[in-house]
Amino acid sequence: MSERVRNLLSVAVLIVGGLVIAVVVLTAPSDADRVEHLGQIIKCPVCQGESIGDSPADMARDMMGLVEQRVAEGFSDEAIIDELLSSYTGAVLLDPPASGATLLLWLLPGMALLSGAGVIWWWQRNPGEEIAVPTAGQARSGGRMLVGGLILAGSLGLIVVVAGFFLQDRAGPNSGVANLGVENLDEVSNETMEAVIAANINHPQINGMRLALAERYYLAGDYQAAFPHYLSVAESANATDLESVSALVRLGWMAWDGNQATEAALGMFDQALEIAPESTTALYLKGQVLWCGSSDPEAATELFSEILESDELPDDTRRLIEADLAAASQGLACA
Amino acid sequence: MLATLGSAGLIVSALGAVLLVTRGVSATRSDTRRDLRGPARLLLAGSIVAMGAMQIGLATDDFSLAYLANHHSTATPFPFDVATAWAALEGSIVLWGLVLAGFTWFAYRRYERSPDRLGSAALAVLGVVNLFFFGLMLTVANPFEVCVQAGASSCLESSPWPFATADAPVNGPGPNPLLQNNIMMAIHPPMLYLGYVGLTVPFAYAFAALAISMPGPEWLRRSHRSTLVAWSFLTLGIVLGGWWAYEVLSWGGYWAWDPVENASLMPWLVATAFLHSGLVQQRRNMLQAWNFVLVISAFSLTILGTFLTRSGTINSVHSFTQSAIGPALLGFLVLVLVASFTLFATRAHVVSTSPRIDSFLSREGSFLANNLLLTIYAFIVLVGTTYPLILEAFTGTQVGVGEPFFNRLAVPLSFLLLLVMGFGPATPWGNPDPSLVWRRVRTPAVVAVLLGLVTALALTRNGWVVLAVTLGALVVGVIAGLAVEQARRRTRKDSRSFGRGLQEVIAADTAFWAGQVSHIGVVLIAVGIAFAANLGTHTEVEMEPGDTVFFAGFELTYESPFQEVTQHKTTRGARLTVLRDGRFVGIIEPSANFFGGNTGVSTPDVISHPRGDLYASLIDLDSESADIAFDTSPLIWLLWLGGGVVAAGGFWSMRARKSERTEASERTTADV
Repeated sequence: MSERVRNLLSVAVLIVGGLVIAVVVLTAPSDADRVEHLGQIIKCPVCQGESIGDSPADMARDMMGLVEQRVAEGFSDEAIIDELLSSYTGAVLLDPPASGATLLLWLLPGMALLSGAGVIWWWQRNPGEEIAVPTAGQARSGGRMLVGGLILAGSLGLIVVVAGFFLQDRAGPNSGVANLGVENLDEVSNETMEAVIAANINHPQINGMRLALAERYYLAGDYQAAFPHYLSVAESANATDLESVSALVRLGWMAWDGNQATEAALGMFDQALEIAPESTTALYLKGQVLWCGSSDPEAATELFSEILESDELPDDTRRLIEADLAAASQGLACA
Repeated sequence: MLATLGSAGLIVSALGAVLLVTRGVSATRSDTRRDLRGPARLLLAGSIVAMGAMQIGLATDDFSLAYLANHHSTATPFPFDVATAWAALEGSIVLWGLVLAGFTWFAYRRYERSPDRLGSAALAVLGVVNLFFFGLMLTVANPFEVCVQAGASSCLESSPWPFATADAPVNGPGPNPLLQNNIMMAIHPPMLYLGYVGLTVPFAYAFAALAISMPGPEWLRRSHRSTLVAWSFLTLGIVLGGWWAYEVLSWGGYWAWDPVENASLMPWLVATAFLHSGLVQQRRNMLQAWNFVLVISAFSLTILGTFLTRSGTINSVHSFTQSAIGPALLGFLVLVLVASFTLFATRAHVVSTSPRIDSFLSREGSFLANNLLLTIYAFIVLVGTTYPLILEAFTGTQVGVGEPFFNRLAVPLSFLLLLVMGFGPATPWGNPDPSLVWRRVRTPAVVAVLLGLVTALALTRNGWVVLAVTLGALVVGVIAGLAVEQARRRTRKDSRSFGRGLQEVIAADTAFWAGQVSHIGVVLIAVGIAFAANLGTHTEVEMEPGDTVFFAGFELTYESPFQEVTQHKTTRGARLTVLRDGRFVGIIEPSANFFGGNTGVSTPDVISHPRGDLYASLIDLDSESADIAFDTSPLIWLLWLGGGVVAAGGFWSMRARKSERTEASERTTADV
């Protein structure tokens, strides 16, 4: 075989082989598991640098349980991340976004590569002085030193300006509240929250704080105080799906539990289910209201069975719903 | 008694260090011989006495030493009692000092053979570094403090005064349970320290060469063996650390981009770049300034790594306590950086004699690419590790930088490095004919692509695995091709056998072939990681005794829970039998160890198999059932083997340097 033929054959094998490999590899079905992915990118709040997917800690396992449940309910990755980061102090993204406070982190390696390539280029143009070292005492390079110094100062200045610019808006995906001057909601009184909300009534990310405050009122049984905040979140165009659903579900339950307003309650649950069709809470509460308010145990039975089809239910929830299902399917009145 | 002995050792060492600095500086200034043997001996003897006192204390359970009262226990078995000497902050600096004094002694022996200004100046620099560490032990991190007020099983108050009246507790708490769980913990830190500390020697020679304005590669030659020793041990230390994590921490992984792991990886990356660029300077007189920058960076990164691990700045399993040692190390780091780079900047005439590169398709061109990639790699690890700390320190904002960030950048970089590693050895120095490089790469590249194709079609469609196999085959193929090409050339001239020819080729440039052994080790690591990370499987099951699960071809039956009580620990676990294709493979016993106290250390169990490991760890265990996580890690043993091969290449290269110094001809096999 002549050298020429050998070369041609080799090039052909390299090109065809490379292409076939690329096609085979790139068309491989993705086995990316959302739960696993989310588990990898969120830091376990009580661990040391471990993700919630890797950690055996109880809190990490709880959080993974929540992730599984939310994925099963059909929430988006963003909504689930938002919920986890806002409900667990100390949980942060391990995959820093290329924006806000961590944009610089992504830019720096690229800048280093460029300056490395720049140094090599410069060295090739100016052999004998391979790197822009300040060559003090060498008159002939005075001009060069000046240029080098200016470039150095300029790039340092640029880095500082860029860093300052991005640090200014150090908003991670969950720092809506932090931007309002509050770091940890647990330490904030209801009055302060009311004041912050009143002062930032049009802030696009106020919904997180509204929900937190409403939740406190709700848990304390003060439906009247909770109502306007939930309503505002439910009507807000800036609310995430998760926030809207949480608000709608609470509104529905308060309407029934506080005012026996069956129709209004069912309307709220239906709105919630439009956003998140598999939301366990919405389905379950709608079933309860249908059973108790509309005296329609058959419709309730249907809903309860639907929930139980999910594999992701925590055990105690499952037992609760199974008990209700048993009672409703026998036509008993609701407890 | 031991406090006195140990403190005396430290003082003797510190005295030796001071004398080494003063006499070294004076010998360098006046260019005359001074007695440096005495100071070097004092330094070494003192550090041996200090470590000896510590070991005697451990062997005799002397809890009057505060360090032992807080970190040792009579129940700690051999060899963990020996390793307790470096299981916590103060003790680990004793080991550091011993290793540093040892390296200094070898540098002195080198100086004895050819006493000159470079040697005496380097010893003076080593003296300064020694002084810093022995000074630390005499002040903020004293390992020989006497316990003056004992608690139940710890020391509540201690005094640095060795003659203070001791109030010793009856027993201590023992070292961190995680450190008692595996024999690797006794070996891994000394390896890592040999690596970290060894990098002080090339730094000292570089600093000395700058200080006495001595251009040329002499400082590289002088420190080459120390650099190789350090690099090889650092390699072993890192891989053993990964192995330890895999065997002891029950998450089934070996590398988590934990700041402490990163702290050891950064100097390794820079030292690797330095090993390559040093060759370029020795051969082509290029990259002089760059070599100074690299060696200063590598040394600074070891100090930074020590700061990160030892100051409690980062909380992880490796970080023991918070103490005044943090500011001291940070101050020393700043001092090193400022002093080195100021000196560097004022010695432009030493560093700026560099000819232009003739062709990028040459050995020096590929070393340049290798250096660019390795330093960017180190930079990424540095930025990713320190960015969250700096951001939080200055703005209070908490961000997480974890595995996803590092993997996204480091994985592509690693593959680029593999590619350059494939082409590099095929390129001759200077300005070679491109067709020669093509002829050398042609066949290996075709074989590699075909092998990649087979992998993709028959084994897995995972892109990373296919890429690792393809590039790995290219690297190995090019090396094999070079060996065959040169052996043939030798045998063509006369009638020697091919095997004999190959022997001669290797003998003619052992250092080069030793380097290629390390390259093959890197390929093994890359393939091992690619398989284990991408083709592993994971499941978690709750099992009751008698239950059987099928997982990744294994049939796992939960036989029963078990409990073992020994003198120093209680082990509770689940016993499972493992079958594969109906045949008994072994028994796997994931467990939790309790060392006194209630905190159990989850301890995984591994069944190793040539095709990969079965890994089981216990999540929860009660009388009725056990929650167990199972993982498979295909071909993960390649990673451990590869680490050993890389280090072996380093050690072999070191021996080669020695035997070849006589035939100092400028010969490499890659030259035509």
